[in-house]
Amino acid sequence: MYRKQVRRRRAVLALLIVGSFALLTVTYGQGSDGVQRGVSTIFSPVQSVADRALKPARDLVNWFDATFDARGRNSRLHSELEAARKRAVGADAALAENRQLRKLVELDDSGAVPSGYQPVTARVIVRSPTVWFADVVVDAGSGDGVRVADPVVNGDGLVGRVAAVTPGTAKVTLIADGSSAVSAKVVPGGAQGVVKASVGDPGDLILDFIDANRHVGKGEPVVTSGWRAQGLESGFPPNIPIGEVTEASILEQEAQSQVHLRPFADLRDLDLVQILTGGSRG
Amino acid sequence: MILTPNIVVRLVAIIVLGVVLQLSFFSQVALFHVSPDVLPALVVALGLLGGTLTGAVCGFSVGLLLDCLLIIPLGGGSLVLIATGYLAGLFRERFEIHSPLVAPLLCAGLTLFAELGFGAVQATLGFDAPVSLLAFRDILVKSIFAFFLGWAIYLGLRRALRPALVEEPSVRRPPRRPTIMGI
Repeated sequence: MYRKQVRRRRAVLALLIVGSFALLTVTYGQGSDGVQRGVSTIFSPVQSVADRALKPARDLVNWFDATFDARGRNSRLHSELEAARKRAVGADAALAENRQLRKLVELDDSGAVPSGYQPVTARVIVRSPTVWFADVVVDAGSGDGVRVADPVVNGDGLVGRVAAVTPGTAKVTLIADGSSAVSAKVVPGGAQGVVKASVGDPGDLILDFIDANRHVGKGEPVVTSGWRAQGLESGFPPNIPIGEVTEASILEQEAQSQVHLRPFADLRDLDLVQILTGGSRG
Repeated sequence: MILTPNIVVRLVAIIVLGVVLQLSFFSQVALFHVSPDVLPALVVALGLLGGTLTGAVCGFSVGLLLDCLLIIPLGGGSLVLIATGYLAGLFRERFEIHSPLVAPLLCAGLTLFAELGFGAVQATLGFDAPVSLLAFRDILVKSIFAFFLGWAIYLGLRRALRPALVEEPSVRRPPRRPTIMGI
């Protein structure tokens, strides 16, 4: 009797493991199959309701986190204030530069929506629980005109791109995901490279493959390059702000052709985003 | 665990509620910049209460639902959580340790195992980016959260599934000494 139980238990376990491997093999590399679409369609209203209902509780917990964070930042901000006072002398020059940069990146007053694109506003309803995937699911899908590979922004800058869609939801792979790669350029220097993630740290991105001869300085903004050549084109329209350079040692630039940047968008705390649908890229 | 239709319905409700709460609440809050992951702790608690088979089946179900809702390749999450649930069940079946610390410690340890497992599955599928040390700090803090949350989850589930539990560790009280009234 006991042996029979053990045998049955092992058979079920083997079946589950084989089933998992089979599912992984069948679904790997696909956007979303019928089962996922079905489950996602059934659960998206539940998730939307849960998302709205739990928002006050989330805000409360996040308030505690922000309070702890603020206490830690207080002393650091004092020293930063000293440095900022010294730099205030050059504020006029910085303002003029800012005007030039704004002209360069062609931002409109409302945000970072390039011309020719229709922004679809969506709310983040699901966030990946593990540190290894930087994905979110938003409550707008193919029914709202969202397509795979549409760029996603928020008021601060580039957030990611749509990786899969269902009728009511879309999965957005953030620029902090290990699989993300965004062609970008530094303004005003014009050094080009590819923005990649540093897995596990959404506050740190890497601008890789930059030309070692073009020196990139700390604090310089990085925007999407939106290139187009010989029938190929970047998945992102040009001049969407991505972040600013935070570490740009000459050694790292020359040895590894890379600098570090901080994304403008707070990728840890996304609520509302805009999906840029339609429009021709480049 | 004695599986009656009523208990199966409860298990399904617990799994759905757990996954929805994780994705809509726990993944979107942060304490010390880290979001808690309660799903490995949920699977561990189910494995501890139901044994290897219950742990593995619940792990598979939680992983499959998670993969479906996150629209990522199916099976990766299931694979990791099957192992998590099975190991928790194995502990229950092999060791006769009835300490209140067993559940939270196992939740913390197996959350660490599961998070590293998710990373291993993701690395097997391939990602072309360096891994920050902060990822490991994140995993460690998640395990500490799992210690406290797992304790609450275990107590809650034991209460919700009480009619189905075959054996429950009884609290041994010292025998009462007879007393004489008035002395």
